[in-house]
Amino acid sequence: MRAMLQKTADGLISLSAFLGTLGLLFVVGVIVVDVIGRNFGMPLYGAQDLVIMTMVIIVFGGMALCARDDGHIVVDIFEPHFSPRLNRAIDVGAGLLGAVIFVLIAYTVFKSAQLSQMLNLSTNLLRLPTAWFQYALCALSLVAALALMMRAACSALGIRPAPASGQETP
Amino acid sequence: MSPVLVGSTGFVLLLVLLLLRIPVAFAMFTIGFAGIWLLNGLQAATGLLSSETFALASNSELIVVPLFILMGNVASVTGMSRRLYEAAYATIGQVRGGLAAATVIGCGGFAALSGSSVASALTMGRTALAEMDRFNYDPRLSTGVVAAGGTLGILIPPSTGFVIYAILTEQSIGRLFMAGILPGILLLTLFLLTVLLLCTLKPALGPKGPSTTLAEKRRAFLGAIPILVVILLTIGGIYTGIFSPTEAAGVGAALVIGIGALSGTLDLRSFWQAAQSSVVTTASVMLILIAAHLINPFIALSHLPAEVSRMLVSFDLGAYGTLVLILAIYLVLGCFLEGLAMLVLTLPIFMPVVLSLGIDPIWFGVLVVLTLEMGLISPPVGINVFIVKSVAKNVPLVEIFWGVIPFWLAMLVTLGLLVAIPQLSLWLPGMM
Amino acid sequence: QELKYANWAPPFHTITEAQIEPLAKAIDEGTSGAVTLRAFHGGELGAGPADQYVRIVQGTADMGWGLPGYTSSQFPKTLILELPGALPLDQPGYAALWRAYEGELKSEFPMTEAIALWGAEPNILMMKDKQVTSPGDLKGLKIRVAGSIAAEAMEALGATPVQLPMTQVYNGLQTGLIDGLVSGASVLSDFKLSEVVSSVTTGPNLGRLTFYTVMNKPVYDGLSGEAKAALDAVKGEAISKQTEEAWVATAAEALDAARASSEITVNDLDAAQSKAFDDALAQVTDAYVAEVGGAAALAAMRGE
Ligand code: NA
Ligand code: NA
Repeated sequence: MRAMLQKTADGLISLSAFLGTLGLLFVVGVIVVDVIGRNFGMPLYGAQDLVIMTMVIIVFGGMALCARDDGHIVVDIFEPHFSPRLNRAIDVGAGLLGAVIFVLIAYTVFKSAQLSQMLNLSTNLLRLPTAWFQYALCALSLVAALALMMRAACSALGIRPAPASGQETP
Repeated sequence: MSPVLVGSTGFVLLLVLLLLRIPVAFAMFTIGFAGIWLLNGLQAATGLLSSETFALASNSELIVVPLFILMGNVASVTGMSRRLYEAAYATIGQVRGGLAAATVIGCGGFAALSGSSVASALTMGRTALAEMDRFNYDPRLSTGVVAAGGTLGILIPPSTGFVIYAILTEQSIGRLFMAGILPGILLLTLFLLTVLLLCTLKPALGPKGPSTTLAEKRRAFLGAIPILVVILLTIGGIYTGIFSPTEAAGVGAALVIGIGALSGTLDLRSFWQAAQSSVVTTASVMLILIAAHLINPFIALSHLPAEVSRMLVSFDLGAYGTLVLILAIYLVLGCFLEGLAMLVLTLPIFMPVVLSLGIDPIWFGVLVVLTLEMGLISPPVGINVFIVKSVAKNVPLVEIFWGVIPFWLAMLVTLGLLVAIPQLSLWLPGMM
Repeated sequence: QELKYANWAPPFHTITEAQIEPLAKAIDEGTSGAVTLRAFHGGELGAGPADQYVRIVQGTADMGWGLPGYTSSQFPKTLILELPGALPLDQPGYAALWRAYEGELKSEFPMTEAIALWGAEPNILMMKDKQVTSPGDLKGLKIRVAGSIAAEAMEALGATPVQLPMTQVYNGLQTGLIDGLVSGASVLSDFKLSEVVSSVTTGPNLGRLTFYTVMNKPVYDGLSGEAKAALDAVKGEAISKQTEEAWVATAAEALDAARASSEITVNDLDAAQSKAFDDALAQVTDAYVAEVGGAAALAAMRGE
């Protein structure tokens, strides 16, 4: 049961990071095509629409893997002076707090997405519906919340999680 | 509870959460959200949480964050940044702290390319830290140099800080850019002197390298040519209007990817890993920026800035006294707030005071932007320090804060010089 | 009760004196101080104009102003006023908007009470190192535009439209990233563009920007009778007229400064020269009106 949960969660975290990475490479391509085209009098129509909406996927796509790899920055001044018990309690608390924050983000952005649909909001040139990207942000936030809850659970049980596949930095 | 009391309590609680090792972004989210809830109701708090989150995650100017990280990561896996540092090492490696000095100059160059300090610290951090580590530089020195040097991005034009200041205070953007040049060079020089002084006092910080022959120097320099071409093309493209500073980040990334692929130094696997690790670093940086934008309305709603300024005016200290007091307030606020947010919150309040005392607004602009830079590296909320931390995972944050202290002091000296000698800021714009 | 007015512009902006202060004064005096209006300037309650409408609906602020053009999909009919040639340049935009509001535009402002609707000064061309006196002069030039309508207009004139945040326009003109921009003259002073612009072209009907100020509907409905009466006395055409006139005055001042400056050439095209532009742009306007089914809205704006 736990193994299956772990596997599902890992799959979602990897998928989310995969989408973000794909988005980043897509944005590089869009900018290059737009810059070259513009200097020949043929800019890519709606390039800015594509860039800003893909950015949502880039920024939130990485949240889950960042959470799983302990990538969120902390002020570690007193860590050596705290007892191991306290440090573990803090880890559990921070993980749960982060999960609550991401669930709250998902919930409020979901509400905003419904409002966007009602107001018919979309990007100015390509008419990409804002709500699509808000729903995507919600989904990616929920994966991040899941990753944080798993961190908290691991800390509570005293398990050091296996390093994620994409963790090593070049 | 009065709004001012809520605001002050919020600051204290933020500090407590940070010291308890709660991730910076989570602590800021919690305090910002709870503060807005208390001062303006739950509906306003949830509304701001969703609108600020989505607005920042789709902000057309912040796209430079993932793009510059990608450029730095790819330059790093392809060995381009290593060869750049080998060239620097062959040239000035035999001087104590030479690579740190080269990094300061690199930061100054990057500042001329980018208007944002975040982008400067990210790219320079990605490029420089591992290299200085390889040549046995102490992480305190290397991270301190990058965190502090990165702040030059908003003092040396182009600068987002000056643009926002100009629009908020109806000053000339062109004159402010001119005004930033000499102070930028002065600060850069003081950073260099700081590096030399530190390495003289404590040689282990930046050990001397072996001396090199002319042939070795030339070979090292030739190796660095690809990355130098990328840098020249990127800066050149901005100044000739081929692309905007924002697009430059994308073009620069594409160039290093292209060179890496063509030269065979970038295979698909390492490329994908570099890109994925860029996305993860982006997440940790952007979450802090989003959270900082929740603290901003919370402070506005607390009336704290307005109360502080009322107190300030009532002291009646004269022009110089008030100026020094205002700058001191900026230094304190800079410990907690994100730089540009601080401008928006405080300028409407301080500007009338400054103008009524006959203080030159261009001069004041330079002083304020310098205090913003100092805020970027002052604990507990020093955005640039967090950014360096996000690319230097193995260095404890407290080491980085220790590392920036000498540079913070150099900035304080610069601030003193700029206050004492207004001509340093006003001479160039006066020539226009 | 303290009402919160969200202003994303700096505190010295025209909006403060032209609209926020008069509204605050009317409410304060009408309720003997029981209800006040407090402004949060410079985006203190959230940056930029694009999200203002949503912020008001979500209750982050009670009242605020924005540009329909930033979320054009929400305001297809309101934006008809921005079209080239929609309204003669010397006719006030606020009157046209309010003529069409009840019958045609109201459904584009759900969940809020419209406080003010107004138009800006006429759009003009502002160029760096180029002179424009005929559509042919624009051929191949890179022109910064604010939205899709202006983008289509520039394409119809042979120019290349470029999307760029307003804060980057100054640098963009300086480096040659863009050759010019189309907007109202007030940006010459508001964004310091007079420092980098070398020529200005007036005369052709390039449309104008539109603005709204709205209030959260439940908050409006919940106002005391006294406060509502005080607000109702100024809201609508009265405060809109006052705001638009201040806008036009700011623009006139900026344009006068440009005329006085030796660095800037002002090309005031006569009717015959302007006609070449207007003819080229007529199809853009017709196509847009047909696309959004806005014939009735346009007729109402024109008072036909
Ligand atoms: Na800069
Ligand atoms: Na700080």
